[in-house]
Order: sequence, then structure tokens, then C-alpha cells
Amino acid sequence: MEFKQVVGNRRTIRFFDPNRPVEEEKIQVMLEAANRASRAVNADFAKAIVCYRDELSDEVREAMKTPTSTVQIDLAPVTIFWYGDTSFVNGAQGRLKELVDLGALPVTHGWTHAYVDNLVYPQVLEPMSKDQIATVWAVSVETGLAIAQAMLAGVDEGLGVGLHAFNAAGVKDVLKVPDHWVPMWILLVGYPAEDAKGGGQRPRRALSDSFYRGQYGNPWQEIPETTERLKREGMIQEPMPADASQRRAEIRQLAERFGLPL
Amino acid sequence: MTDQHIESHSSVKQWAASAGHHNDPAEVREQRLRILAAFCARVEKQPDELVAFCILRKKATGEQFLSVKRRETINNWLEEFTAEQGWAGKQAVVNANVVRSFLIHNGVLIQGPVWRG
Repeated sequence: MEFKQVVGNRRTIRFFDPNRPVEEEKIQVMLEAANRASRAVNADFAKAIVCYRDELSDEVREAMKTPTSTVQIDLAPVTIFWYGDTSFVNGAQGRLKELVDLGALPVTHGWTHAYVDNLVYPQVLEPMSKDQIATVWAVSVETGLAIAQAMLAGVDEGLGVGLHAFNAAGVKDVLKVPDHWVPMWILLVGYPAEDAKGGGQRPRRALSDSFYRGQYGNPWQEIPETTERLKREGMIQEPMPADASQRRAEIRQLAERFGLPL
Repeated sequence: MTDQHIESHSSVKQWAASAGHHNDPAEVREQRLRILAAFCARVEKQPDELVAFCILRKKATGEQFLSVKRRETINNWLEEFTAEQGWAGKQAVVNANVVRSFLIHNGVLIQGPVWRG
């Protein structure tokens, strides 16, 4: 699938086909996409535990469930628990020098082993690693980048995906999560039982509401031809119609199939 | 508690209005009310009390919040209730979700098991 189509097709899927297995190969594609994400100091910020629902023990499955997550977890064949690794600074010096040697961090931009050893590590990374707020900020941003790539890779593989909060304390022990991992999100994965387009794209505000040129207060001006091109190429798709009767009918049908409340 | 009696509770009126029950056949509406009434009797709470049971106030600020533990308790009660009623399979899921629907339409987000058969 073309990249713009993938971005345009992504929806938060809430109704998965619970009985259609997800191929391990497709999960690997998602994990590799996460592994290829941009990352500061070439650190492995993003950590994930992939759980196939039907392979979990009753103990683990029950620990995962909360009154706000049971439906999704029951329906999704795969749950990926995402964490951020706060020990990212370990080995950072060596990784940065490796990038210097490879020319990824070029001397033209001021990078040398001495710069890494004398400034970047002792004056930036080490103090940062001791600052809890800075650490959680960095880990969250970096892990988010990886999760986004995994999510889009899943869509590219024809899967449905959905990010949700989870009961991190409830699953910490059963998943044997190390103390230095910070919980991020769960990514539910499966084949959609609902319309894969979820009835249309969710409402979004104009670019000018959020993006600026030069300074805040000077909104980004859309180029109409580009907007039209993005519609043709699938990044911008039909929004969910204001008349939600079709979507409501679909939800009713899904509720009847899965015995869900209406 | 009779079906007519249970309908007089404001939370039950809210449920019917929010979920659009007036469009449903009378026997479907009656069946729902019967399940809710039986559950309320089982847990010895009126419908409005059942909603209130899920909502607590923070000691420090007085701010209202939905209690996870209370909703877990409701889910445990529902599990016991469906077993006592002799419901199994999809019927157990659907009937327990009648009670959850009542809570949901009164602002209590609560989820339970799904029928995957």
C-alpha cells in the first residue's frame, strides 16, 4: 500500500474478529517497523511484550482486564504492551561513537569521539538520565515514534489496530516487566470485525488550527491543490457522515454478534 | 420490585431515553426490566443506588470519580447472578450486559466478557 494510503486508512479499531488469527509474520513486520524508528542516541527506548490472547494463562488474562478494557482485550487476538526503557543512557557513549565512525554523525556537523566523551555524555546524557521528568519525557516521545511506525505497518499489512491505556500495575508481575520500563500504551491488533474504514475518517480540524509558519499566530496556509492531491492519494478520506445512522446500524449488528450492551 | 415500579426510577428513565428503548417491542423492553429488577433485588439496591454505588468522592477534594473497584464488584456480582439464573453461553453474556447497558447509559463505563462463539 502507498504510504499516504496507509496513513489515511488508519483508524482506531474497536471491534476485532476474535477468531481470526493474526499471522506472526505480520507482527514481526510491525516490530521491525518500530525497530527502524528514529531514535535519539540510537537507543532502544521502545520495548514491547507481544501477547497472543489464546496463549495466555487465565491468570494473565484476568490481570489484564479492567472494567474499562475487557471488551477490547477479549476481542483482539493480539495485545502488544509497549514500554519505554529508562536505562537508555547505558551504552549511549559507545553507540554515539559507533555512529561517528560510520559517518552517520559527521565531522562536518561537529561530531567526534572527543565531543561525545567530553561533552555529550557527561554534560547532557548523564545529567538527563538522573532527571526523572526529562527521562520520562524523552522515553515517551521516542517510544511514541516507534509505536506509530508499528501501528502504520500493521495497517499496511491489512490489520486493524488500536491504542489504549492499560492497567500497568495489574500486569507488571504477570508479564515480568522490569522496574526500569515505564508503561506506555497497549496496541490491540487483529482483523477488523467492523468496517476497516470505521465509517470514515474521524473529524480533524484544519491545519491552520494547529500549525504555524514562522511564529505562533501565523497559521499555516493550505495549498488547495495539495489538499486535493492528498484526497486523490488517500491520505485525506471521506469523513464520518453527520448522519450516523449507518454507523449505528453497524454497531447494533456487532453488538448482537458479540452480545455487547447497547 | 415490579417492572412498573422499576420504571419509575430516574436512572431507569434515563436508560430508556438514552438507549432509545421506546423503539423496541414491548416484550424486549419488559425482558430488560425483568433482568435489571432481578439483579437489583439480588444485590439489594435500587437502580439509582446501583449507579451511585459506582461513583465515589475523593476525600481530599470532594471530586466525584468512577470507582474501578466498585465496577469490579459489579462485574463479580453479575458473574454470580448469571450463574444463579442458570444462564450460560451467549445468553449469560447478553443478559449480564443488560445491566451493564443500564449503567453505561447512566454514565458508568463498565465492560464485561464478550461472546466469541
